Amino acid sequence: MKKVTFILSLALVPLFSTAQTAEDIIAKCVEVTGGEENWNKLEGQKMKAKMTTNGMEIGMEMLQMKDGRTATVIRFQGMELKQNVYDGETLWNTNFMNMKPEKADSETFENFKRTLGEYPSPLITYKKMGYEVKLEGDENVDGVEAYKVKMIKKPLLVDGKEEKNITYYFFDKETGVLIMTAQEISSGKMKGKMAKTFFSDYDEVDGLYFPFSMKMGADDAGYQEITIESYELNPQVEDSFFAYPGDDKDEEEKVKEEEPKKKKKKSRK
Amino acid sequence: MKKLELLLLFVLLSLFSFGQDVGLLDGKALFGDMEARHIGPALMSGRVSDIEGHPKDPSVIYIGTAGGGVWKSMDGGLFFNPVFDKHCQSIGCVSVDPNRPDEVIWVGTGEVWTRNSTSVGDGIYKSTDGGQTWKNMGLKKSDRISSIQIHPENSDVVFVGVQGALWGPSEERGVYKTTDGGQTWEKILGVDENTGCSELIMDKNNPNVMYAAFWEHRRTAWSFNSGGEKSALYKTTNGGKTWKKIHSGFPKGKLGRIAIAIAPSNSNILYAVVESEDKKKSGMYRSDDAGKTWNHLNADFNLTVRPFYFSRIVVHPKNPDIVAKAGLFGVLSRDGGKSFRQMGQMHADIHDYWFDVADTNKIFVATDGGLYYSFNLGNTLEMVNNLPISQFYHVSVDHQEPYNVYGGLQDNGSWYGPSSSPGGIEARDWETIGFGDGFRVYPHPKNPKITYSEMQGAEMVWKYDSEARQSKNIRPLRGKDDPKLRFNWNAAITTSVHHPDRVYMGSQFLHISNDMGNTWKKISPDLTTNDPEKLNQENSGGLSKDNSGAENHCTIFTIAESPLDERVIWVGTDDGNVQITKDGGKTWTNVVKNIPDLPKNTWCYHIEASHFDKGTAYAVFDGHTKNDKTTYCYKTTDFGKTWKSIVTADVYGFARSFQEDNVNPNLLFLGTEFGLYISLNGGKKWVKFENNMPAVAIHYLDLQKETGDLVMATHGRGVIILDDISPLRKLTPEVLQSDKLVFLGKKTFVMPEETSFGGTSTPTQFVGDNPPRSAKIVYYLPKRHIFGKMKVKVYDEEGNFMTLLEGGKKKGLNFVYWSFHKMMPKIASGATFARGGFVAPSVPAGMYTVRIEKGKDVFETKIETKYPEKSVFTLEERAKQQEIAGKLYKMVEDFAYLVYRLDTYVSHAKMTANKHPEYKEPIEKMIKELEAFKKEIVKQGDNYVGGGEDKLREKMAEIYGEVTGYLGAPTQNQMDNIALIEKEFEEVKKKLKEIEQGEFKKYLDLLKRLNIPYPKLKTYEEFVDKTK
Repeated sequence: MKKVTFILSLALVPLFSTAQTAEDIIAKCVEVTGGEENWNKLEGQKMKAKMTTNGMEIGMEMLQMKDGRTATVIRFQGMELKQNVYDGETLWNTNFMNMKPEKADSETFENFKRTLGEYPSPLITYKKMGYEVKLEGDENVDGVEAYKVKMIKKPLLVDGKEEKNITYYFFDKETGVLIMTAQEISSGKMKGKMAKTFFSDYDEVDGLYFPFSMKMGADDAGYQEITIESYELNPQVEDSFFAYPGDDKDEEEKVKEEEPKKKKKKSRK
Repeated sequence: MKKLELLLLFVLLSLFSFGQDVGLLDGKALFGDMEARHIGPALMSGRVSDIEGHPKDPSVIYIGTAGGGVWKSMDGGLFFNPVFDKHCQSIGCVSVDPNRPDEVIWVGTGEVWTRNSTSVGDGIYKSTDGGQTWKNMGLKKSDRISSIQIHPENSDVVFVGVQGALWGPSEERGVYKTTDGGQTWEKILGVDENTGCSELIMDKNNPNVMYAAFWEHRRTAWSFNSGGEKSALYKTTNGGKTWKKIHSGFPKGKLGRIAIAIAPSNSNILYAVVESEDKKKSGMYRSDDAGKTWNHLNADFNLTVRPFYFSRIVVHPKNPDIVAKAGLFGVLSRDGGKSFRQMGQMHADIHDYWFDVADTNKIFVATDGGLYYSFNLGNTLEMVNNLPISQFYHVSVDHQEPYNVYGGLQDNGSWYGPSSSPGGIEARDWETIGFGDGFRVYPHPKNPKITYSEMQGAEMVWKYDSEARQSKNIRPLRGKDDPKLRFNWNAAITTSVHHPDRVYMGSQFLHISNDMGNTWKKISPDLTTNDPEKLNQENSGGLSKDNSGAENHCTIFTIAESPLDERVIWVGTDDGNVQITKDGGKTWTNVVKNIPDLPKNTWCYHIEASHFDKGTAYAVFDGHTKNDKTTYCYKTTDFGKTWKSIVTADVYGFARSFQEDNVNPNLLFLGTEFGLYISLNGGKKWVKFENNMPAVAIHYLDLQKETGDLVMATHGRGVIILDDISPLRKLTPEVLQSDKLVFLGKKTFVMPEETSFGGTSTPTQFVGDNPPRSAKIVYYLPKRHIFGKMKVKVYDEEGNFMTLLEGGKKKGLNFVYWSFHKMMPKIASGATFARGGFVAPSVPAGMYTVRIEKGKDVFETKIETKYPEKSVFTLEERAKQQEIAGKLYKMVEDFAYLVYRLDTYVSHAKMTANKHPEYKEPIEKMIKELEAFKKEIVKQGDNYVGGGEDKLREKMAEIYGEVTGYLGAPTQNQMDNIALIEKEFEEVKKKLKEIEQGEFKKYLDLLKRLNIPYPKLKTYEEFVDKTK
């Protein structure tokens, strides 16, 4: 019952007090959704999800591990298309045309590497990551008042140039829960506009609260909802699941490429 | 945290949230998913008032526009995005902080090119995040800010030139300084209430040196004056502490507007363009001693033309002798201002230039018709095609499907275009139907090929036949004994709902034609004040005569025929009269004196005759040309005998436009200089609508009755549509008080059937959004959905599951779209995409249930889908198509289930072989057989050109897709093909059976012996289930 009282008092805080810092707001969100200690115990998660649009359903599986390994598997018509997979060394994707694995471009990979360590969420790890947070005031999100918290992360590399990397987090004032994030789009014709993700359908999984619905997109480009069917916490996943299957080269080519490496090694000796 | 605890939390929270009435809600909590739709167009674009780039990064360029806010490009000018939508859209200048150019941007509002139709500003704004968010930093009464100069070493020190009010005296004019980044301002130079700072520049090599041009000027609704004794050019050499006139070499006598520029590469070289009493001494001056002395170089047309509109000089960043001057046409000098050549083809009326910081041969040009760029200093130019900053004066709609919108624009003619088009509304969809400045354009109410359009001052009024491609000038001409007819710059025209061939036109008289403009009859006396003091337009302009028709006054500006009685006609005039006839023009009564708290002679901008009662009307007045920015909107219910203001403190900005809903008399729309306001309760409370709706001036509102679309003529952001206002009609106090989800949408939907191959625009062209083609399920949520699952499902009348939809979770109105499809069939697993498998079946016309599961609550509503009345498909054809498509859908899923069984057997067998190597050989034999069988029926290879031959999986999906995707009956050829596929499938089923009874049976026997459970198969029903 102690915990109930604690939660209730948390809920009442915004009703009676106005002095809030970004840290307080994040701490409340973390507490309401399960507590920092529990979040930090997480070793990984596997989400079974789907997107439904105009009668089409696309199944997905998203894996995130504490050590940084990650994968999104798109299942469609019996095919498994792995996207944004990181095996600890290589970030890779499946090409939709020839279904072969391809390494991500170096800039994407570099930007990905800069996020390593954020798991389970920058809201838990921002201090460790050295991210700066700042309360930017209030904003109405989806019709309700929300706190807007700015988080300055490690810079992004955009077309070879370091650019500021800012994510805005919006927390429902009433419940303290995260309901939206916004981040500047860094390239293409929408560059400078905000990519947004809306969170809802929070539910409990082993003592932690996760959103079971995420709506992603941008105001001018429309939004797509991803509904999560299940979260599996601390899943057992074989290394081979993430492993980059290697370049699709014939043996002769591989041998040719390996030769100089071997020679180099030898010469070092 | 346990569920119980969370539940308690919600119970507690609910104690603190109350039922809300509209009085407590802001727009975001009310309008939810309802969003404005921008259709542009951008092909003619609109007036760009200022260009400013990043000092080092050529990819970043900002433009300020006359009425469309601030736009930013981050790719060197290919694409621009708006960054100032929440604020005043009339821009005087944009400045980038040289110390923090990625973060700090300043915007001065209020355009300084002071034409008659220019809007107003409301102060200075600053962004510290590269334009993402903005804060008003004061100078709110400045009206027009001409210049912002930021100290090159200290971002907190900023100097601002305030040109001030155009339409009246103003104490705010002058040069201001802040030393705390805009927290406080000090006026450091002022002349008088009529003379404002039209340009302030700083020597970036020595920020203590600044030059300030002051301009004495004034507009009224009927005149313009540029110039006087007070216009002057000042210089400071001590950071603004003291200023000195620097006129040595300038003409004597009265001066008008002065433009000034420093050569960035040599601070001693200055250029000035001077408007003077002595025409020979007007034009281009140069100083080579930092303003001590001036030499007159040139008085060419483009250097002296309309100084109020074109006073801008820009000097090349590296070569002090290359100078560009704004003008009717763009001109450039390569000899230090001695001579100028005209730039290449682009829109006329040039306001500013920007030299690219990396490639100084690249130049951007701001015109009345958008932004241009050139790679050879203006010899040849191309237009930026994605700036929908067009300035509509008016809009009207027709009754076609999809309906068209019609309107005229500042300096960009008259146009009509569709409200929806395959692939989006593209540049090629728009038709031009008038030259010059365009204003009111009306379609003939019954004959879709006839339109009426006009140019400024009704110099031409066209009846255009778009089929014969013939235009005829039908403007009313002065008759015997008539005085000169006076038409407003934006002359009043309207058509009649009672007689399709009827046209009304307003000069100082009301003219009527019942034969599409062939013959005209006056049906009123002079309805204006006919004040002779306001009729001297030929003397307008001040030092530079300017009699363009823009100041025509004492004219009829708005005409409203009652939709209930053709004899009841309202007329509003630009000099403040409101006249009504109840007998078709035989007698007229001026009822303006009955309007309380309305200053005399306030421009009557719009009258709306009510749809519900012929004695009821609304009148909107715009006082801004008298320097009065109050919002005026009144209602009468007794033919004008008494009036009541329906404006509340919620409304910001003077109003020009108004629309009454034709279904719910309490639903009203008010268009102000700073955006759209909506009242749900007859004007007792107004709520600003901001969902994808910039704070743009709305010059006219129209309602397309069949669709319920509110169509807005914005003066700076093109045509903006608020699709289907019907949910607003249902937002009653009861709904707003509800603590549960309430359905509000339409109940019947016509399913669109047209298909297309999409649009043809190039990547950089603006394409206007289409309205949704789907059923729109609307509900009001009293709270944002955060905890627990929420799903939206559709079922047919028999309770069969159709589809899952994306649920809206917002507090306020939520829109969920259903594209009239059921879920696609399950496709057999394969190595490639089966193309036909991407086609979802359209549902037949009928009743459907929308079911929303929100936590433990379930909400249901029924909707009906209908076929279009005008369709190429008969019911018999549809029935045939539905029957065959249904059969194929089942066949595709049967096949998928067959392959699923195969796959399950194989994976089970592989597992067993691993566990029991002693049986590996026989098991692998079976696996091989199964895999070989799968290869016979499922294509191998990749999704591009590396694929193998199509097999049964692909062939079946293909014919399924073909038949399902077309709503008419399948062809005989397709039917024959289906028969072949069916036969092939039968053989496949037979073969699987053989395997199941042969090798696979042996495998099962083995499993039994080993006591291993059989492969676990989903039932067919489980396999095809899509509800979860």
